[in-house]
Amino acid sequence: MSLLEVRQLSMRFGGVQALERVSFTVAEGKIIGLMGANGAGKTTLFSLIAGNERPSSGEILFENQSLAGLRPDQVCRRGVARTFQVVRPFAGLTVIENVTTAALFGMRRYRDRAQARDAAAAVLQELELGDRAEALAGSLTLSGQKRLEVARALATGARLVLLDEVMAGLTPMEVEAMLLTLRTLHRTRGLTLVVIEHVMRALMQLSDEILVLHSGRLIAQGEPPAVASDPEVLRLYFGEAA
Amino acid sequence: MSPARDLMVVLALLGASAGVPFLGGDYWIGVGITAFMWVALTQSWSLLSGLSGYVSLGHVVFYGLGAYVVVASWEVLPIAVSLALAAGAAAVFAFATGMPVLRVRGPYFVILTFGVAELVKFVVMAAEAAAGNASRLILGTPEIETLFFLMLALAAAATVLAWGVRVSRLGHGLRAIREDEEAAETLGVPVARYKLLAFVLSACIPGAVGGAMALRNTYFEPLQAFDPMISFSMIAMAVIGGSDDLRGPVVGAACFVFLSEMLWANAPQLYMIILGLLLVIFVLFVPEGLCGRLFRSRGA
Repeated sequence: MSLLEVRQLSMRFGGVQALERVSFTVAEGKIIGLMGANGAGKTTLFSLIAGNERPSSGEILFENQSLAGLRPDQVCRRGVARTFQVVRPFAGLTVIENVTTAALFGMRRYRDRAQARDAAAAVLQELELGDRAEALAGSLTLSGQKRLEVARALATGARLVLLDEVMAGLTPMEVEAMLLTLRTLHRTRGLTLVVIEHVMRALMQLSDEILVLHSGRLIAQGEPPAVASDPEVLRLYFGEAA
Repeated sequence: MSPARDLMVVLALLGASAGVPFLGGDYWIGVGITAFMWVALTQSWSLLSGLSGYVSLGHVVFYGLGAYVVVASWEVLPIAVSLALAAGAAAVFAFATGMPVLRVRGPYFVILTFGVAELVKFVVMAAEAAAGNASRLILGTPEIETLFFLMLALAAAATVLAWGVRVSRLGHGLRAIREDEEAAETLGVPVARYKLLAFVLSACIPGAVGGAMALRNTYFEPLQAFDPMISFSMIAMAVIGGSDDLRGPVVGAACFVFLSEMLWANAPQLYMIILGLLLVIFVLFVPEGLCGRLFRSRGA
């Protein structure tokens, strides 16, 4: 069954058509990779799904219910979480306080603060941030802050997690570690993931299916090997000669 | 230190100061009233601004409205009722103005709150002038000892309220809003509702405090009741004491009352200069305030 369905989604910022009639579905339990050059509309797509922006037209269904008109906090409580490409930690709070916020207010909505904190601590263990729990979030390395973004998204209890370049700027070893973490999380938690990534190899390895955006349009869609050999994709990524 | 211990410490201090009327004369009772007033105001201000980062430069508007309500209902309603009404009026005003005002952030919010307070001041002045009152005198106000305990109760109530918010979901959400509002909203924090709730909660006790101070001053004059210096002082005390710490407002208020008692009578200009210097020094070098620096408390 499809967990997320995007229908004819368009977004215009002034004179710029950021997204143009994009449609796709995401089946439950899958990992979907989202590819495209800078400005292709990937982050805009996340912002629309998460309710940070309102689409110009089109529809987004989550569990067959429309997300139209919902605020980000309401979308989060329905079970959709996103991370930010440019990390946005609550820098003045500790790592565990950051994650506890998500546990308290996300989909799971713990009533009890001690329980929320325990849940947050468990998520930090999964993300290998357990020993940094009491550090200020602003003091983490980039790799740590990327992990914190993922930890917060998970702690909301979301069923669909939108990961926006959580591997960008990491060293190759950190990328490997993050890939391993994401695969483990996907398997143990039965999460559905939509992943934006520029590290092409990582995305190809991780995803069940790849979507390619170009100038706001969806130009290719399919299993990684098929997309990698798609003539349109090759032309855009490697130029006419390829 | 845990927030519950902080609460006990502050309440114990306030409780101990209840002995002042039995030991000292009217002078010390007066100092006590002033100190409790600042504790109550600063504690309320910190509840909003310290936690959410929305710095209100117009909190005097709630104080002034409270004073106006009490004076306008003098000899019409029992004092207890008019004080409750003062708190209620401040809360209703916060609710009504909060929805538009809390839509803007940062310096715009600061300026807007200041503007709203000034606007209300001039509206009240115009209304009083139209009614033929330059100022109002009220006679037969309660004894100074009664006002002392009233203000002590308000300071304790503001402290308990601020503590309750700090250890609740609301407090946790407000801290997240302070750090990054959009990220907080994306993680499920109902930001608009929480900001409004904090604004209303931070308004009601200043309303009652304004009412109580009208009884203490026995007269009402809009320029004095809506004096922007009252807003500035709340901020200065919170900054110096520490705005994300339950003990901060007490420490800040104690410093200021001490300074003002030392200097106000003999060298008022010096008082203002020192106050300004302290504020600059703290904002630049100790933004977390005395409590934040000394105790390194991480809050709830």
